Amino acid sequence: MTDFCKLVNMPENDKQGLSVVTCTAPVNIAVIKYWGKRDEDLILPINSSLSVTLHQDQLKTTTTVACSRNFQQDRIWLNGKEEDINNPRLQSCLQEIRRFSRKRRNTGDSTSDASSVSHKVHICSVNNFPTAAGLASSASGYACLVYTLSQLFGVESEQLSAVARQGSGSACRSLYGGFVQWKLGTQLDGKDSLAEQVESESYWPELRVLILVVSAEQKSVGSTSGMHTSVETSQLLKYRADVVVPSRMEEMIRVIRERDFPAFGELTMKDSNQFHAICLDTYPPIFYLNNMSHRIISLVHRYNQYYGETRVAYTFDAGPNAVIYTLQDHLPEFVQVVRHFFPPEVNGEEFVKGLTVCSADLSEELKRDINMEPTPKGIRYIISTKVKH
Amino acid sequence: MPENDKQGLSVVTCTAPVNIAVIKYWGKRDEDLILPINSSLSVTLHQDQLKTTTTVACSRNFQQDRIWLNGKEEDINNPRLQSCLQEIRRFSRKRRNTGDSTSDASSVSHKVHICSVNNFPTAAGLASSASGYACLVYTLSQLFGVESEQLSAVARQGSGSACRSLYGGFVQWKLGTQLDGKDSLAEQVESESYWPELRVLILVVSAEQKSVGSTSGMHTSVETSQLLKYRADVVVPSRMEEMIRVIRERDFPAFGELTMKDSNQFHAICLDTYPPIFYLNNMSHRIISLVHRYNQYYGETRVAYTFDAGPNAVIYTLQDHLPEFVQVVRHFFPPEVNGEEFVKGLTVCSADLSEELKRDINMEPTPKGIRYIISTKAGPGPCVVKDPNHHLLGADGLPKKSAISH
Repeated sequence: MTDFCKLVNMPENDKQGLSVVTCTAPVNIAVIKYWGKRDEDLILPINSSLSVTLHQDQLKTTTTVACSRNFQQDRIWLNGKEEDINNPRLQSCLQEIRRFSRKRRNTGDSTSDASSVSHKVHICSVNNFPTAAGLASSASGYACLVYTLSQLFGVESEQLSAVARQGSGSACRSLYGGFVQWKLGTQLDGKDSLAEQVESESYWPELRVLILVVSAEQKSVGSTSGMHTSVETSQLLKYRADVVVPSRMEEMIRVIRERDFPAFGELTMKDSNQFHAICLDTYPPIFYLNNMSHRIISLVHRYNQYYGETRVAYTFDAGPNAVIYTLQDHLPEFVQVVRHFFPPEVNGEEFVKGLTVCSADLSEELKRDINMEPTPKGIRYIISTKVKH
Repeated sequence: MPENDKQGLSVVTCTAPVNIAVIKYWGKRDEDLILPINSSLSVTLHQDQLKTTTTVACSRNFQQDRIWLNGKEEDINNPRLQSCLQEIRRFSRKRRNTGDSTSDASSVSHKVHICSVNNFPTAAGLASSASGYACLVYTLSQLFGVESEQLSAVARQGSGSACRSLYGGFVQWKLGTQLDGKDSLAEQVESESYWPELRVLILVVSAEQKSVGSTSGMHTSVETSQLLKYRADVVVPSRMEEMIRVIRERDFPAFGELTMKDSNQFHAICLDTYPPIFYLNNMSHRIISLVHRYNQYYGETRVAYTFDAGPNAVIYTLQDHLPEFVQVVRHFFPPEVNGEEFVKGLTVCSADLSEELKRDINMEPTPKGIRYIISTKAGPGPCVVKDPNHHLLGADGLPKKSAISH
């Protein structure tokens, strides 16, 4: 797999029989949402989904895996803290990777150290973005883990989708750059429920992404249990999965290929809203969007209405943070609009992190037409990024 | 019978109730006739706590139709108003032509003066168009002698849910199949005395910015929500059957759960609309959360919420649970210390809350999050006010000074 960052080509091997590999993996943000499983063990979804992979310069997980005959047991450290290796999802990934590796070895394909699969591993993983940012790090985390293990044990990249998926559903989409779809699949064993690239990151270079990190609020319902409750209780969800999403997937792929931003933006917003509608149709209802999210949504619609076209689009996952898609031409003005209606702390941290955004002036007419009360400190900071691997 | 005096002035005064839907109406299949895409079911509230009072005066001396709402003269040319007036007059003429009339044969061609007041503030955000149009139509029918069976269609054309306010107790508005809407009518499912233990609380939330109006909101939903058609065609029909069944069985836990689910689904459709519509605000979310935690503490559905196109909550419960739940609301939404009366309407006994319950609910109190509560119950349909002192219009056909409410 050439899209991915590998910091070494082959595991280093030294006198102690220690092999070490370090890799990085990206975050992805869905524009057609995954919410609901048809199989909880294999993590098979009820509908296909499609995401945009974000640039690793701004957001990434870095994972080092070391393997040695001297290690007593598997161990894992996440963001500096040792975690429980017996987490079922972690175990799933480790077992699956080892299984694929043994299969490879048994067919005589192996170029790696034949004994490493039975050795224990030490795993250390860090994100370059704060957990408090509420950005789902399980996708990048599991993608990175699985990819790094595959480098260590010599597993073919085609099989990684299924392994990553069993760690965290959306992790399989982080195995590719650019625009990625996770196909629902039809087989009960999930062998055809895989991610594949729709278009590469260089396909639409004008596309830009902003992450609006909203002030921290109380803990929400976790995704795994939330989507389970939705499947159990929402009568609208089955209809979404069976009827709405299949046609939206086709449309999304088409508008990306045509680089049709207004259509891409509108469809992205509609699918975000429908996901949150399903959460509201769940019993008990789940509220991920808060007052600040509503204001951001309002701002986007008024901004687009002012120009009479969809220039900016929002999408929200299972939390209040907004991910904004726009084209680079509109970026400076829209960032200034956000700054104006969500004025940051005066001597606080840097408001716009990541890629540099040029300054821009706002016309009085635009401000007047948007007609919203500013919400000071409603947004903690913005991460400016783009599509990449 | 309309009073008739030497000036040929006929006056009738009636009152009509508010209704709160438990299976929601949201979306029309015909904008002119106001035909819905799905059936709906509501509970009619008691007029002692909430009602519209309307006086209609009719005289050969009046130059034109005029209307006063809550003390202010409004535009009589509002299309919905015109719809009601024309329809009632049409039915009345038809009756007269078939020789059934017992009313003054000439009154239908006379102009009317209409004066209407609510005994609840508009700021309370309670949809007054249902009670308002129901009252108007009922009063006009009394004046012109129109049969009550035809009123559903007329009220519906003023405001869809108004037809449900023509009956007491538990009322359904049937979707109908005909294109002309003649079978899209309201009918009583059970009377208000069927389930005497059922109680209703209206939690009036602090006033916020204006929301999207119902008429345009539901129109946008029909145009843009892909989930709405499925709701209307598949989900609601089976929910209507279930709701009728659980009401007849007086099964509160099932009634409550279904009510909450339908409220949530209505708001889900609003979110699936483009641009999305948010009627529930932060306070609404907290009330929803409180209800779920309260029910979870007891392991059963004792209290249920429903929200219309605004942030106010309507709570359904049984009279046994009323004192404690009102105390729970008071505890988690502590009112202004020297403010207005917090609980209006029917008296609610006081109750103590156990520390265990408060701890288990585990929510931060939100001071002044709820302005006040109206405690009420199911009630009857519209009725005529016999006492002439209660007419809102004077002998001159103009609003009496006292006809300005709240």
